[in-house]
Amino acid sequence: MDFLFSYIVLAEIYVLLGLSTNLLVGIAGIFSVSQAAVFGVGAYLVAHFMMAADPLSFIPSMLIAAACCVALNILVTLPSLRVSGDYFVVTSFGIQLLATAVFTNWAQGTGGANGLPGIPPPDLFGWPVETTGRYVLLCTLFAGLGCLAFWLIMRAPFGRLVRAIREDETAVAAAGKNVLRAKVSAAALAGAFAGTAGGLYATFLSFIDPSSFDLDASILLLTMVVVGGARTLAGSVIGPFLLLALPQLLTLVDIPTTIAAAARQLIYGLLLIVFMLFRPQGLAGERL
Amino acid sequence: MTAYLQVDGLDHRFGGLRALQECSFTIEQGRITCLVGPNGAGKTTIFNVITGFLKPDQGSVAFRGRSLDGLRPQSIVHAGIARTFQNLRLFTDLTALDNVLVGISGQFGEEPLGAILRPMHTARAQARRRMEAMQTLEHVGLADRARDLVRNLSYGEQKLLTVARVLATGAELLLLDEPASGLSAGALDAIMSLLRRLQNEGKTLLVVEHNTRVVQQIADDVLFLHQGHLMAQGTPERIISDPALAEIYFGGAL
Ligand SMILES: Nc1ncnc2c1ncn2[C@@H]1O[C@H](COP(=O)(O)OP(=O)(O)OP(=O)(O)O)[C@@H](O)[C@H]1O
Ligand SMILES: [Mg+2]
Repeated sequence: MDFLFSYIVLAEIYVLLGLSTNLLVGIAGIFSVSQAAVFGVGAYLVAHFMMAADPLSFIPSMLIAAACCVALNILVTLPSLRVSGDYFVVTSFGIQLLATAVFTNWAQGTGGANGLPGIPPPDLFGWPVETTGRYVLLCTLFAGLGCLAFWLIMRAPFGRLVRAIREDETAVAAAGKNVLRAKVSAAALAGAFAGTAGGLYATFLSFIDPSSFDLDASILLLTMVVVGGARTLAGSVIGPFLLLALPQLLTLVDIPTTIAAAARQLIYGLLLIVFMLFRPQGLAGERL
Repeated sequence: MTAYLQVDGLDHRFGGLRALQECSFTIEQGRITCLVGPNGAGKTTIFNVITGFLKPDQGSVAFRGRSLDGLRPQSIVHAGIARTFQNLRLFTDLTALDNVLVGISGQFGEEPLGAILRPMHTARAQARRRMEAMQTLEHVGLADRARDLVRNLSYGEQKLLTVARVLATGAELLLLDEPASGLSAGALDAIMSLLRRLQNEGKTLLVVEHNTRVVQQIADDVLFLHQGHLMAQGTPERIISDPALAEIYFGGAL
């Protein structure tokens, strides 16, 4: 049972990340490969506040982490508004490497490569979230709120505006709309989602290390959006649930764990290529 | 007295090519002014400068006495000037109605935070905007195509839709880049009568047009542009009957 619950919790955390990546890549058209870095900052911040000498409780820690990630995500996406798409991928790649370097080497702040153990479980107004079952409830709540927010903005004029921007920015400007502002809004929201996901992740596992927030993780997020489908709620939910089921399925096949990890990366890579080539709208979305 | 739209001494180079050379003219409120001239004369470039898409090397543009220099395109739309594109630039994956809705200014729910925190208000506001957009579509004669994707519309319908989209912005001065080119006779009549109607409703129009018959029928005033410079300005009769201009206009082509 715990096995299934853990899968659901992780998938729901990744739904928040999928929404975040979808906002940035699918909606704002900012092709970022550093979303895991923002996720990591959220995780480390929540861990930091909850483990401080004078600890904060869960909700305030989450709020501060989300706010910081909003600012951070705006900051890291700003270059995308200056340099054109292709160049931004390189910039974003650099941001990801920089983040990994900091996570790995700043031993005092992040525990370095050894990671940060002993992150306490969340405490919701005197209701400790200690069992995996309770964690499912908590993550369902957060993922549900995230989905609701995403659904609301995409059916609002904002949704139409970003679809129009994707087609023709010049025409949107000629229609009197601020393209830059719409993109920054999407990036800000993406930051809030990634930071929240980070906090949930850190408190659920009670241990974090840089390997969860590296380039592979960023690319996994992109793969989720590509496989699920851009700009739709269904796509953002299907992608994470499907791709996280893959490692679980691989454990059913009797192969050594060292090969399983490589096999997983291989399958993710193949999926990314196959979908980009043959089904750019993903399983339930629109063209990237 | 300040002119309604004043274009003063515009110069613009693309590399070694002088697309605009000391180009100056004024436009009067409430009139249909046609901007004519041979291919490559700089007509579209003028539109790009007026609407803030291109910063001129020199010169200035003022609207109702207020300088537009350095304003971004969206600010110029809010100041009251909106334009169409020669190559349409519609949002082809959206419906006709959504194309018009993108143009409507000041919509609640265009910011994510508003849409999330006040969903009911957003929905109500959007319902009102839809009605407005429907009226605009009716106005240009596309009401029955509202739900169709733009790429399924005919070329003539797409041209009407570009006009609907600038109307949605609420701008009072409309710059239309070849709204009548490439149209069948029926579609041509539809667009000409639409332009007349817009004028009667108080809009001012600056229209790039190649067809002399269309110019004669709709223009109150004609600007003749040649090699980025204003060669002549006058009534359609005067401009069209000027042999020197006809030589420039047709000489190269025929
Ligand atoms: N972005 C650009 N880069 C380089 N040259 C350009 C650019 N835009 C326009 N030109 C050149 O500037 C000159 C004026 O172009 P413009 O598009 O304003 O002409 P036009 O009067 O609109 O012509 P047409 O009737 O063909 O639409 C042309 O020689 C054109 O080739
Ligand atoms: Mg032109």
